[in-house]
Amino acid sequence: MKGAHITPRFELEGAAIERLEPELPPLAEEPRVRTGSAALVLSGVGVLVVGFAALSVGNAVADAFARAPALGWAALAMAAGGFGLLGAGVWRELSGLMALRAVDRIRAGLSSGDPRHIAGAARAWLDELPDGAALIPAVRALNDPDSVLALLRTRVVADLQQQADALGRSAAIQVFAVTAAMPSPALDALVVGWRGVRLVRQVAELNGLRPGLLGTMALLRRTALSAAGVAAADIAINSATRAVLSNPLLQHLAGDVAGAGVAARRMVVLARAASAACCPLK
Amino acid sequence: MRWAATARGLVPVRRVVRIGVTGLARAGKTALLTSIAANLLAAGAGLPALPALTARLGGRRLRVSAASAGAADLPRFDTAFHLGALARDPPAWPARTQALSLLALELEIGQPGPFAALPAQRVRLELLDYPGEWLLDLPMLGLGFGAWSAGTLRRLEKRREAADFLAFLRVLPVTAPADEALARSGHLLYRALLRTLRDKAGLSLLQPGRFLMPPPGGEPPWLEFFPYPGDGPLAALLRSRYEAYVEAVRTQLFSPAFGQVNALVVLADLLSALHDGPAAFADTTAALAEVAEALRWRGPALLPNWLAAVLGFGISRVAFVASKSDHVAERQRGNLAALAAALTRLPIGRFVRTASFAVAAVRCTEDVVWTLEGHPVSAVRGRLLGAERAGRSYPGEVPDKPPGPEFWAHPFLALPDFEPMRLPLGGRGGVPNVNLDALLAFLLEDVL
Repeated sequence: MKGAHITPRFELEGAAIERLEPELPPLAEEPRVRTGSAALVLSGVGVLVVGFAALSVGNAVADAFARAPALGWAALAMAAGGFGLLGAGVWRELSGLMALRAVDRIRAGLSSGDPRHIAGAARAWLDELPDGAALIPAVRALNDPDSVLALLRTRVVADLQQQADALGRSAAIQVFAVTAAMPSPALDALVVGWRGVRLVRQVAELNGLRPGLLGTMALLRRTALSAAGVAAADIAINSATRAVLSNPLLQHLAGDVAGAGVAARRMVVLARAASAACCPLK
Repeated sequence: MRWAATARGLVPVRRVVRIGVTGLARAGKTALLTSIAANLLAAGAGLPALPALTARLGGRRLRVSAASAGAADLPRFDTAFHLGALARDPPAWPARTQALSLLALELEIGQPGPFAALPAQRVRLELLDYPGEWLLDLPMLGLGFGAWSAGTLRRLEKRREAADFLAFLRVLPVTAPADEALARSGHLLYRALLRTLRDKAGLSLLQPGRFLMPPPGGEPPWLEFFPYPGDGPLAALLRSRYEAYVEAVRTQLFSPAFGQVNALVVLADLLSALHDGPAAFADTTAALAEVAEALRWRGPALLPNWLAAVLGFGISRVAFVASKSDHVAERQRGNLAALAAALTRLPIGRFVRTASFAVAAVRCTEDVVWTLEGHPVSAVRGRLLGAERAGRSYPGEVPDKPPGPEFWAHPFLALPDFEPMRLPLGGRGGVPNVNLDALLAFLLEDVL
């Protein structure tokens, strides 16, 4: 490949060509996900419980029909009602979980950099929010994706954050009052735990989510993941806690009952963390 | 000094990283800034635009957005306009830059492993775009009118294009009166001479730069001067105008662009200089050396250099960059980077890290093997701007050190006017480039 003695040159090719395209980077191979042992065991138990329950109910309905048709219809109605309620509960749980997945999809869309995806994700998010419909015409009118994101940050994210903070402050005052008066530390933990879960669900509803039991558990896991960053990052939490405890009586109590002050601060942190977990845009 | 950089990154305050880009006219500064902005924004959106930078982050989060301009005096660098011009069909290269503009980006970088729970590091990245002609005003900052006139006239004596201007100077008495008509005539002659030397002789070391690329708006009277060795009222008038000019350079270019620079990019279109011949090549080298000398590392006066380096004052990194490297095949880009390093030796301190790169901010070509005179050679192939046809180019061998007389015995081809490759996602997926990720990983290593 020595070219030192070769005369430099330029040559025009004959045919017209399309504009050159850059080479695409190699796609990363997705790691194969294996089903865990615990998932297999739980699935087996689920199939056995649901399957045998369905068989037993089916047999019971058949027996009732054998005894008298009226009895059979009554048994069938009861079975259908019972399984219907079960199905509705499962459906509600699944839709709660799917709504959480939708937050991830909207988050990915908003950070994609592609104008079409950003506009679509913004509309999908506003559809889910209780007061989001009013903003959709404004988003449609904007051509620039950066402007769409700026509008969402200014109007939606700031409002949601403000409302989540208000919920956090309200929970903080309740928790502070209850734990200061509580005679047993074990009951403290119970009250703080219950109020914390309720707060997370309240913040989720604020963001258009209605999580059931499984949805709440998934949300709590996400909230725990975002809590470390929020607590370390936000100086505002200290000021919010101070604002909650600005009453002289509460300040006096906080001095005497150190645990109550800590619990109140945790509620403010929790509201922020839950808001960060539910909101697809920062 | 990695530990010092990590420690600085943990402090929860927004840092400003200012990168000075020194590049002569048509070196590719505007294209470089456009490509940096587009590729960083794409990388911040999770797209694979800058693999070396992403690898350096090791899975940490990177978010990039356009920084707020606030109430700044400087106009914003119009990334969307330049990117749009490169993305559309048919594409267009940026026109000659005629005024200053500031590119400012906001970077949010996740903290390394043990500190991952801490708030992300926030960095404001600033780069300034300016007419390349103005860069050669920087060496004037350290020169008085007399020394500048003597140096300029010494260079002009060898040029036959300068005959008219030198003849005018010879007839002026040493104690010429401060006559506006004389000052204006001398200025116009000198300005015409600079244009001839740039356009016909391909020279770069031409001062003052604003005579070639005047700032927008009306020209102030202090722009009308010329090199003059006299010592009378006319010399005093020209000296006062020269001093006003130098002050304008200091406040309008040096302070905003290079006043508090953390890293420096010395950008040079060496391939075009190789084509222009030995005189133009030597002139480019001399111009870069003068600029480098004007910008050499200086820490704060009261601090020892090692402490200034630890605290992050002054220039900590210098990258020598040969631009338009996609006009030669990959096999030759190592030589091109080595040549850039050899030509732009800076008198830098021991606390400054340096590296050289062969970069194409906007890639236009693909590598091909071309059989010439029975030998396979590495060449490049691209689509010519406005022609819709492809061209193959083998411009010659790039030397890895300043070329000697034997090199100039063979011609080095002019760079063909290739059009940019198609931009992924209309520019939102970044700009195809060569080695830009390595350059950015080097420049931003202290904050990554």
